[in-house]
Amino acid sequence: MVQQLFWLLKKEFTLEWRQKYSLGGIFLYVGSTIFIIYTSFIKIQPNIWNILFWIIALFTSVNAVAKSFVQESGYRQLYYYQTVNPVLLLLAKMIYNTILLLLINVLSFSLLSIVAGNPVKDYGLFSVAILLGSIGFSFAFTFVSSIASKANNSATLMAILSFPIVIPIIMTLVKIAASALRLLQDTSVWKDIAILFGINLILGTLAIILFPYIWKE
Amino acid sequence: MKLAWWKILSVFIILYVIIVGLLVPLKQGITAVTPSSLNAGTSVDLKIIGYNTKFNSDSKIRVWLKQDDEHALESNKIAVSNETEITASFSIPHDLPFDTKVKDFTLVVDNAIEGTTVLPNAIYITKNDTIKGDFVNAKIENLTKANAITFPFRNILAETIRNTYFHVPLWFAMFALFFTALINSVKFLRTNDLQYEYKAAGYTYTGLIFGILGLITGAIWAKHTWGAYWSWDVKQNMAAISVLIYLAYFVLKNSFEDREKAARLSGVYNIFAFMAMIPLLFVIPRMTDSLHPGNGGNPALGSQDLDKTMRMVFYPAVIGFILLGFWLSEIKFRYEILKAKVLEDLE
Repeated sequence: MVQQLFWLLKKEFTLEWRQKYSLGGIFLYVGSTIFIIYTSFIKIQPNIWNILFWIIALFTSVNAVAKSFVQESGYRQLYYYQTVNPVLLLLAKMIYNTILLLLINVLSFSLLSIVAGNPVKDYGLFSVAILLGSIGFSFAFTFVSSIASKANNSATLMAILSFPIVIPIIMTLVKIAASALRLLQDTSVWKDIAILFGINLILGTLAIILFPYIWKE
Repeated sequence: MKLAWWKILSVFIILYVIIVGLLVPLKQGITAVTPSSLNAGTSVDLKIIGYNTKFNSDSKIRVWLKQDDEHALESNKIAVSNETEITASFSIPHDLPFDTKVKDFTLVVDNAIEGTTVLPNAIYITKNDTIKGDFVNAKIENLTKANAITFPFRNILAETIRNTYFHVPLWFAMFALFFTALINSVKFLRTNDLQYEYKAAGYTYTGLIFGILGLITGAIWAKHTWGAYWSWDVKQNMAAISVLIYLAYFVLKNSFEDREKAARLSGVYNIFAFMAMIPLLFVIPRMTDSLHPGNGGNPALGSQDLDKTMRMVFYPAVIGFILLGFWLSEIKFRYEILKAKVLEDLE
């Protein structure tokens, strides 16, 4: 089982490597978004910086994850359907997307820091926020993209299905990051982290339980 | 015909809630006192405006300014202007038994027929320490107990307190409906029987309507008590987001040609959406301050907000709206099942 998971993960990486242009496209997307924000704001206040960073993270994550289930052809999907365990397939995609989102978020953080300054004071806390945020976005978006990919207008569906679901994640992330930026003195930041962890856990478990029903289609 | 006692019951309960909830008068209250700040050592005439009061010159009215449970001042002369206005004269002593410079006093009006009314933080008295020891304590005693059936009078809320019987039960009913929809979605995924999917959609549909009605009644209430339809209150926002989630459910459901496929995917999303709604409605609002009762120091559904008379309407209202919701959903999904059958026959 672990071997199968490993194999599926390796497949995701190989696939991405073979389609370098799509990965490059996402990086370019991050770059141009940040440049647009920089040119429109020039000097960004820390509280605005915080919110902007997470909005950028939200939109780039949606774009990066949305293709999870559409990039492979129907025939190959059929092949997976017959050969691999659906839970493992989803797990592989979730892990892969988490790594991808971590990479993207770290990249957008460094780009934003270069052009608009870096107001982060507590790097440990901010890293925790980025890690938990990437996991949460990856879980929610991977699962929703598996639903949305079945429809024709999947891009619209992806946005309307997933945005309301990730609002609690975004709100807790902004709050944790605000503590990391020393915008507010929050003694209960660990409670927020625990809540975020809980939300991620619920989303992940639900996705794993429910995915086999979608996969049947 | 199947016995549908609960449908009849729901009609009676809703009728009861509308009639009793809207017709039972509010307890009398005090809306304003002028002037609101005084200096110690002066004589003043306080003009007291009442609400729902029936002052007349025959009624035995007594007025106190209460500092705390032990200390109070009693009015020495009371003149009744009309049913809702009296003037109470006080001579405030120089020496008052509090330590700060300014202290808030609670106004207590006792009417021998209608009972006692209280207005907290009515008067601020600034101390004047020139003369010592002229304070005479007046005991607040022999207060009249009113026997009429009334809803409590609350400042700011006033008559809008009746919205408690509509706004709050709508949310309870919405949650009950979404939960039933969740159970039906789970059943559908386990059995693959399409009728559960129709049921789930029916319950979600009614739940969504109740949610939107809850938002509207809440917004109107907010306009009258908080001053704006939308006050960026966390519960308002979260409720709006949950409505968005369930609207997305219907978009998803209608974006597939194949009914089986639509049923399965929307069933899965329904479960996912319900679980995502729980942090929205129960976790996030507890993290942040809210204008709603029960948050940020505001009292919740405690004895202060719901007195015995209100409970007699509120609890039936919750049950009535839940039953009505189930009835509406039943009509909706039975109609949808019939429609699907007819369409199948046509093909």
